[in-house]
Amino acid sequence: MKNLEKIYKKPWPYWIGGIILGILNIFLLLFVGKSMRMSTGFLYWGSYILDKIGVDLDSWYYFSQFDDVFRNNESLINNFYTVIIIAAIIGSLFSILLASEFKVKKVKSKKQLFFGLFGGILMGYGTRIAFGCNLGAFFSAIPSLSLHGWVFGIFMFVGAYIGSKILIKFIL
Amino acid sequence: MSSKKIEELKKRRQIEIRKKKDQKTYALLVLALWMILLLTFIYTDYQYTSVWIIGLLIGITLQRTRFCFTAGFRDPVLVGSTSILKAIILGLIISTIGFAFIQYFAIGGKEIVIANVPGNIYPVGIHTAVGAVIFGIGMVIAGGCVSGTVMRIGEGFILQIVVMVGIIIGTILGASSFKFWDLNVIKDTKEIYLPSFVGLPLATILQIIALVGLYILADWYHKKNNIML
Repeated sequence: MKNLEKIYKKPWPYWIGGIILGILNIFLLLFVGKSMRMSTGFLYWGSYILDKIGVDLDSWYYFSQFDDVFRNNESLINNFYTVIIIAAIIGSLFSILLASEFKVKKVKSKKQLFFGLFGGILMGYGTRIAFGCNLGAFFSAIPSLSLHGWVFGIFMFVGAYIGSKILIKFIL
Repeated sequence: MSSKKIEELKKRRQIEIRKKKDQKTYALLVLALWMILLLTFIYTDYQYTSVWIIGLLIGITLQRTRFCFTAGFRDPVLVGSTSILKAIILGLIISTIGFAFIQYFAIGGKEIVIANVPGNIYPVGIHTAVGAVIFGIGMVIAGGCVSGTVMRIGEGFILQIVVMVGIIIGTILGASSFKFWDLNVIKDTKEIYLPSFVGLPLATILQIIALVGLYILADWYHKKNNIML
């Protein structure tokens, strides 16, 4: 019982996380036919909102290029991405509650709010032209033996370096 | 007051705090909700059951390990630590082996048709580099990548909900300017699947050697530069 408590109360080392995530990614490809990826889900949520307020998405070049992505009954809201994102949020919530560490953490300042929003926009934009985020274009792309995963990884490092310099100059 | 009494008071107070903050009941409620939805998926949308289970495990793993790709790529620059980067490389080595087997059986000894190979294989070119740099800057400024944002929303961070709104806006902006990128850059590039050149077994072995090399390099860098040591 004590040992069990240790598992859900104490943080696990990073290397265990790397190994588990690697194995889960294999399971995803094996059982679902898709590897770990999330960012496209956010595009679909945004598109769902735009669609509801009357924007004609069919006229968008992007959607005319990727119109065959949905399988049986999938839609902008009902799809693989929504399921994996919500499941991961629930998993994180469950895990932190089990450790009794959950707390609503407020935004500390306007500056934090601005950089959060701006950073998010940059990330979202990057995922569209590079075909994925840190999961889809890197953590799943390299194991797929696709060269774009390596290129993404190297240049994400360059971006992180520039970002760190900005961080030191303006934020910290 | 004697010190004995103070100690007693301290102990009682600690027990009180512990009782107040115990959130296990809520955890079980959340899990119950997850299970109800699991049953719903089993009976109505069976294709989602595995994603629903694996997604939960991803969330738990990310939260328990505080796994953060941003820190993995930022900390070597900021504090000289590669602990997370090494863990990421470890994950890549393991999934490379698994993916290779899945791809091997999918190809089945026939000629490689990239469109039919399982996994994430996309055109590579200038757009990959530009997108990755923009993404990398964004994740460091926002303080978390896409998976990190998702994990922190579960932890109760309001800031990460703002980041998520940013990601949604960003993907919409990206999709609306996709025509420009596609016609000027992406159109002339193609997918490069490494086994097309040397075959799947050799490509897998070479990639694992490269990843192990990177791991050793990261380990050496950590020992040399980590300011936390």
